[in-house]
Amino acid sequence: MKGLRNSTLSSLLVAAFAAMAAPQVMAGVTDRDIENDAKTTGDVLSWGMGTEGQRYSPLDKINVGNVKNLVPVWSFSFGGEKQRGQESQPLVVNGKMFVTGSYSRLYALDAKTGAKLWQYEHRLPDGIMPCCDVVNRGAAVYDNLVIFSTLDAQLVALDQNTGKVVWKEKIDDYQAGYSNTAAPIIAKGLILTGVSGGEFGIVGRVEARDAKTGKMVWSRPTVEGHMGYKFDAAGNKTENGISGTTNATWQGDLWKTGGAATWLGGSYDAKTGLAYFGTGNPAPWNSHLRPGDNLYSCATVAIDVATGQIKWHFQGTPNDGWDYDGVNEFVTFDMNGKRMGGKADRNGFFYVLDANTGKFERGFPFVKKITWAKGLDAAGKPIFDPANRPGDPSKGADGKKGEVVFSAPSFLGGKNQMPMAYSPDTGLFYVPANEWGMEIWNEPITYKKGAAYLGAGFTIKTIDDKYIGALRAVDPKTGKIVWEVTNNAPLWGGVMTTKGGLVFWGTPEGFLKAADAKTGKEVWSFQTGTGVVAPPITWEQDGEQYIGVAAGWGGAVPLWGGDVAKKVNYLNQGGSMWVFKLHK
Amino acid sequence: MKKVIAALGLALALAGTVQAADADPLNSSRWPDLQREYLNDAPVAFDPRIEVLAPKVAEDSMNVPVTVRLKGLPDVKRVLVIADFNPIVKVLDFQPLLAQPGLSFRIKLQQASPIRALVQTGDGNWLAGGVWVDAAGGGCTAPSTGRSAPDWAQKLNQVQGRVWRDGQNQRVRLRIMHPMDTGLAPGIPAFFIEQLAIVDDKGDAMLKLETFEPLSENPVFSFDLPDTGAVALRVVGRDNNGNRIDAKVQP
Repeated sequence: MKGLRNSTLSSLLVAAFAAMAAPQVMAGVTDRDIENDAKTTGDVLSWGMGTEGQRYSPLDKINVGNVKNLVPVWSFSFGGEKQRGQESQPLVVNGKMFVTGSYSRLYALDAKTGAKLWQYEHRLPDGIMPCCDVVNRGAAVYDNLVIFSTLDAQLVALDQNTGKVVWKEKIDDYQAGYSNTAAPIIAKGLILTGVSGGEFGIVGRVEARDAKTGKMVWSRPTVEGHMGYKFDAAGNKTENGISGTTNATWQGDLWKTGGAATWLGGSYDAKTGLAYFGTGNPAPWNSHLRPGDNLYSCATVAIDVATGQIKWHFQGTPNDGWDYDGVNEFVTFDMNGKRMGGKADRNGFFYVLDANTGKFERGFPFVKKITWAKGLDAAGKPIFDPANRPGDPSKGADGKKGEVVFSAPSFLGGKNQMPMAYSPDTGLFYVPANEWGMEIWNEPITYKKGAAYLGAGFTIKTIDDKYIGALRAVDPKTGKIVWEVTNNAPLWGGVMTTKGGLVFWGTPEGFLKAADAKTGKEVWSFQTGTGVVAPPITWEQDGEQYIGVAAGWGGAVPLWGGDVAKKVNYLNQGGSMWVFKLHK
Repeated sequence: MKKVIAALGLALALAGTVQAADADPLNSSRWPDLQREYLNDAPVAFDPRIEVLAPKVAEDSMNVPVTVRLKGLPDVKRVLVIADFNPIVKVLDFQPLLAQPGLSFRIKLQQASPIRALVQTGDGNWLAGGVWVDAAGGGCTAPSTGRSAPDWAQKLNQVQGRVWRDGQNQRVRLRIMHPMDTGLAPGIPAFFIEQLAIVDDKGDAMLKLETFEPLSENPVFSFDLPDTGAVALRVVGRDNNGNRIDAKVQP
């Protein structure tokens, strides 16, 4: 780029082509609209159906009594040969639906009829390195823009009406292992994104950009020792303090390639002004190479959106040795008059924390088998079982392979990327959980740019022949599992709940299901023709309530397989959007 | 119909010499549709001062060299280039600003087709010239070679340029590395440069154009600009994915 500033270039282009810009037609999405998203029923403006991530809708036109009359309205094919995992949560704005597809594609559809308005296909280089399928989890909307991230680690903002690119920014170098699959979120005019690439020794961070222009505002690394930055309106970069204290919880210089990828994005609560980002595993997987807690890996980091500073953090798995990648969403809710947050961690524990301070309130298992820890102490720290940490390869017989241990949950976690839901009506979280374990061992490893940085071998094992997946209703006040619906294959889609007393979720076997939110009794299901690994949504249009979900089997499960393969290897791929309403 | 006749009459009265009902000298069955689509049925005069130079037969349907030459035509505001029988008709839309209104470039041709320059002058009138090019076909529905080159992403939007100066004018020749995929080859989405401008050292545009899928892969352009001396020209633009073009061309 010849050393010229992007901002200058953008303004040149804008000036040169001003006459060609299309006039703006509709009032754009505002911060206020986004902050009220969870309460307004005519639209879905953010991942999580509200940036708090509750995935709860106050709509009750479809309810336990009439859900049996729910029928498809339309189905839309994503087309092409790119039928891979569809993990996207759609958005609905002014009667338009925006849904992303595998391989960095985005579709604008008429929400009522399914008619295609436009589609955008991002040209991907050959060398992209997504670890776990070529998925995308959804877009963000702001003003007249719809914004999504791509597998080559770019952020693309398109005009909602025309599908034309308005701005595009590079998040990082895909050749170093960076990619991006999460849905961005909007907080106070800023678009917040994380990074993917935790298996390649990248450095996790959260970035805030001006949502209208894409200009960087702040950047906050999630690995101790790295400098954060602020950017002024002219794009000048100034230091904004190091994250943590260098070498406090990481010895030597492994923190320089420390991982802690923020690959699932985050949530935001306007009541606390904090954005909550989960962080992935520290790199490499071999924990014996990096003694210490390895902050801020396998944690939730709460960042003050106004300053780009970490206000608090809570680490589920210090010195992780199992890939208990703690990116899982932090869902804020009211409990006993306080603003709290719930997180179903990959490590098998459900944490309830004070959303303002991060103070540990309660923690309990949401899966039946946990071997790596004997429990949690009063501060929520795990009580490790040293016998169940994979052995140090340097102490192995040949120095090449450490002792093999069986661990539960498996590295794919008690819960993975599929987001849970919370109902203020029942006071329950609905957690798409999986019961599985793994055999895992450590190997020596050194960092090489762009190469997998694991230092571990593993194979997944089933625990119970009858099921892996279990949708569980969890009470955050007592830690009790109130009900569960088991599923043969692992659950990989998200959950939604409604005032109609229903919980909706999809299965790899292709069913979109609904259960009574109080009892877990299955009351409806529909076969979509391919596996569902995406979270459902609901909205209201012209007096009718609609339910929508993307379908298309894929994600990390078929790639890692192991002993689990026999439960999933017969499932067929797809790529479509399904929408339902009550028949009259 | 009455309305059209009235409009034509008015145009005739104002322009005097413009012959609104000019028959298409290229005798293309597509012309009435194209006149409606791109010019909103405005009257067009076919004018010998507008020359489109291209080979009689396209040796390489992926790279057909085209020159638009305008001789003694004052006050040109816009040059719209179209190829009647291409699946994507529009090739480029050029606003010369400070540059000479003629330019050269290369296009992909799907089948034998007229290539036309539709020229709008400052008074709003449209003039046209064109030429038939015979072609074996297939230029627009084949994948670009860049598509299968592993390093296209590294070379994307790199600009090679050369400038010839004579004290009064300078000729600028550019090549921009880009696959320019039309979206018509199976499974390959459209991916093409859509905006291009040459700006001076103050950032003011000297010429600008919108470009479309039919331009050849790694498109080549020649423009004639007033000589700006030793000051570097800057080429800016972007493709339909928002990837930026930004290069300095040293004289």
